[in-house]
Amino acid sequence: MTGDPGAFATYYPTLLRYVGVAVGLGILMYGLYRLLRLAGVKHEPATGFTLVVPWIVGFLIFVTFPIGLSFYLSFTEYNILWDRPKPLADPLFNYKRALSIRIVELPEGERPIQVLGTMEGETPETVRYREIGRFHWRGKEYVIGATDGYFLKGVWLTLRYAVLSVPLGMVGALGVALLLNQNVKGVGFWRTLYYLPAVLPAAAVALLWYWLFAPSSGLVNWFLSPIYRLLDMQPLGWFTDKSLVLPSFIIMGLWGIFGANTVILLAGLKNIPKDLYEAAAIDGAGTFTKFRHITIPMLSPALFYNLVTNTIAALTIFTQQAFIPTDRQDGWFVNWFIYNEAFNFGRMGYASALGWMLALLVILLTLLIFRSSAAWVFYEGARQEAGGA
Amino acid sequence: MTTETRSLRAAEAVYEHPLARRERILRTAHRVIIYILLLIGAAIILVPFLWMVSTSLKTERQLFRYPPEWIPDPIAFNNYIDAWTSLGSIAPGLTFWRIIGNTLFITVLAMFAEMFSAAVVAYGFARFRWKGRDVVFFIMLSTMMIPPTLTRVPSFLIWRELGLLNTYDPLTVPAWFAWGPAYIFLLRQFFLTIPREMEDAAVVDGANTMQIFFYVMLPLVKPAFLAIGVLSFQGNWNNFEAPLIYLNTTQMYPLVLAIRFFQQSLSKEAPKWHYMMAMATMMAAPILLLFFMAQRYFIEGLTVGAVKG
Repeated sequence: MTGDPGAFATYYPTLLRYVGVAVGLGILMYGLYRLLRLAGVKHEPATGFTLVVPWIVGFLIFVTFPIGLSFYLSFTEYNILWDRPKPLADPLFNYKRALSIRIVELPEGERPIQVLGTMEGETPETVRYREIGRFHWRGKEYVIGATDGYFLKGVWLTLRYAVLSVPLGMVGALGVALLLNQNVKGVGFWRTLYYLPAVLPAAAVALLWYWLFAPSSGLVNWFLSPIYRLLDMQPLGWFTDKSLVLPSFIIMGLWGIFGANTVILLAGLKNIPKDLYEAAAIDGAGTFTKFRHITIPMLSPALFYNLVTNTIAALTIFTQQAFIPTDRQDGWFVNWFIYNEAFNFGRMGYASALGWMLALLVILLTLLIFRSSAAWVFYEGARQEAGGA
Repeated sequence: MTTETRSLRAAEAVYEHPLARRERILRTAHRVIIYILLLIGAAIILVPFLWMVSTSLKTERQLFRYPPEWIPDPIAFNNYIDAWTSLGSIAPGLTFWRIIGNTLFITVLAMFAEMFSAAVVAYGFARFRWKGRDVVFFIMLSTMMIPPTLTRVPSFLIWRELGLLNTYDPLTVPAWFAWGPAYIFLLRQFFLTIPREMEDAAVVDGANTMQIFFYVMLPLVKPAFLAIGVLSFQGNWNNFEAPLIYLNTTQMYPLVLAIRFFQQSLSKEAPKWHYMMAMATMMAAPILLLFFMAQRYFIEGLTVGAVKG
C-alpha cells in the first residue's frame, strides 16, 4: 500500500489533464477542418469527418493499437514486473499451453502426474500435465490431463452459463412482456418494478445474492426449509457446493438481467400495429396462430437484439465472480480467470493469448447469431423496401 | 353513462345467456391469473431487495436469528456509520466522504466527457454526408463485439508507459474519445429523425456549425442526450473493472472497490453481513434515486437500440 497523497493531490493533476485533452482535441478538430477546407474539401464532408475525429483518434489509440499489441504479446513471455517482453522459442507456446490435452492409460498403482508427464517442445519452464478427469474403457483406466485445466474448466463453465442463462432469460422476459401487454392496469408501475434489479450495481447484486444463498442462515434456504424437511435432505450449499455454483450464478444472473429484457420486449410489443391482429382475426386466426405468425416475427428484431447483447454479457461476466469467491479448481468464469492470470500472477503474455481466445469465441458466437438472423429476424422496413409498392 | 343504459346493463346481467356468462367468468379468471403471475414476479424481484435493506438495519446478533426477522427490533441505523468506522480501522483514511468524493469525481468527469463526445460524433455520423461514413459507422458498431478482456493488458501497459498508473486518468480522460459505441448509435438514431429544414433555417440565419449543434440540434435531441447521461452515470458509478486494474492506493478507491476491500478483509472471521448490506444499499441508493427521477430516460435509452434500430 502506498502512502496517501490526500484527496486534492489526487484530483487536480487528473483534472488538469482532463481539461488539457479536451482543449487539445478541440484544437486538433479545428485545425483538421481548416486543413481539409484548404485542400479543397467541401464544407459538408469536411465538417462531418471532423466531428467524427474524436472517435477515430480514440479507436486508434484505445482499440486498434491495444489489439495489435495484445496480438504481439500473445506470442511472448512477459511478466508484469519486466520492462519488456521476452520472445518465446516456440511462438505458439502460450496457445499450446492453454489448450493442450493428453489422454493416457493409468497403470495400477501409478500416480497420474507421473504418467502424464510434461509438455514437449521448447518451453520456457517445465509445464506439467495435470489431471482433469478419469474414465474406464475396456477394463483399463485412463486419465485426462491438461496443461491448464483451470482455463479449460473456466471456458466450459462460461459456455454452459451462456447456453443456459441466455435462453431462460429471454423466454422468461417474453412471458412477462406478454403478460404486461394484456391491457394490464398500471403498466408503468409493473415495468418499473421489473426493471429495478437491472439498474443495481453488479457488485451490490453479487453481495446480496451471496448473502441470500448463504448455506446456514441465508433467506433462500430458510424459504426452502419445509421442502428440505419433507424430503429429509440437507440444506443446499449453493455457492459453496461445486455442483451448484453454476445454477446459483444462473439464478442470480436471471434476477439481474431479466427486467431489462422485459422492458425492451414490451416496447417491441407496443410497436406492433393493432390492425395486423384485426386482419388475422377476420381471417379466423386463433391466439396461437396470431402469436406464431404476427407477434414472433414482429418482435424478432428486439429478440435478436436481446440475444446478441445477453450472449456477449454472459460470456464476459466478471464483477459477479470477483465478489463471489468460488473455488478456482472447479473453474472460474473465464474473464475473471484471465484477469487473475495477468494481474495476480503477472503473466501478461499468457493472459494476452487467453484474451484472444475469449475474443474469438465471443466474435464467433456473435457472427453465428448474425448469420442465423437472416432466417428468423424480420425487418418491417426491409420488407417495405423490397415490396417496393 | 346514463341511468337508462345502466339499467339496461343491469337487465342484461340478470338475463345473461349461459354461454355469455361462461365467457365472462373465463375472462375474469384470465385477468386474475395474469395479476397473480405478475404479483409472484414482483415478489421475486422485491424480496431480495427488502432483505438487503432489512439486513442492513440489523445488529450482529439479529443476523442469524431463526426464523428471520423482517423488521429488526431495535432498528440499527448505526450500521451505516459503523460500517465506515470499521472500514477506516482496516485502512486508515478510508472515510465516507473521501470515498464518495472519489466515486463522484470519476463518475461526473467520465459522464460529462462521454455525453459530449458521443453527441458530437453522432452528429457527424447523422447529419453530414462524407466518403466512407457508412464504413466507419459499421466499424464503430462492430467494436461492441470486442470483449474488454482483449484490450485490458495492453491498455494497462500503455498507461504504465505514460506513468499514469494509480491516477484517475485512465478512468476519465479517454471518455473524451467517445468510447461508448452504444451511446453514439442511440444519439444518431435521434439526430436522424430531425427534419433537415431545422438546420437549413439556422444556416440562413447565419449560424455556424457549432452554434447549430449547441442551440438547434442538442435541444432537439434532449431526451436522448439525457438518456445517455443517466446510462453513463450508472455505468461509471457501477464500473468495477477499470478501477480494479488502475488504482492501488486504498484512499483513492471508489465505492465499489472499498466494498470489495472490506469484504475480502473480513473473509477470515465471520462475515459482517449487516455492514456489507449497508454498504451495498449505499452503493445502490443513488442509482435507484436517479432511476426513479429519470425513469423515462432509462427506458428510452434502453429501448431505442432494439426497437427503432
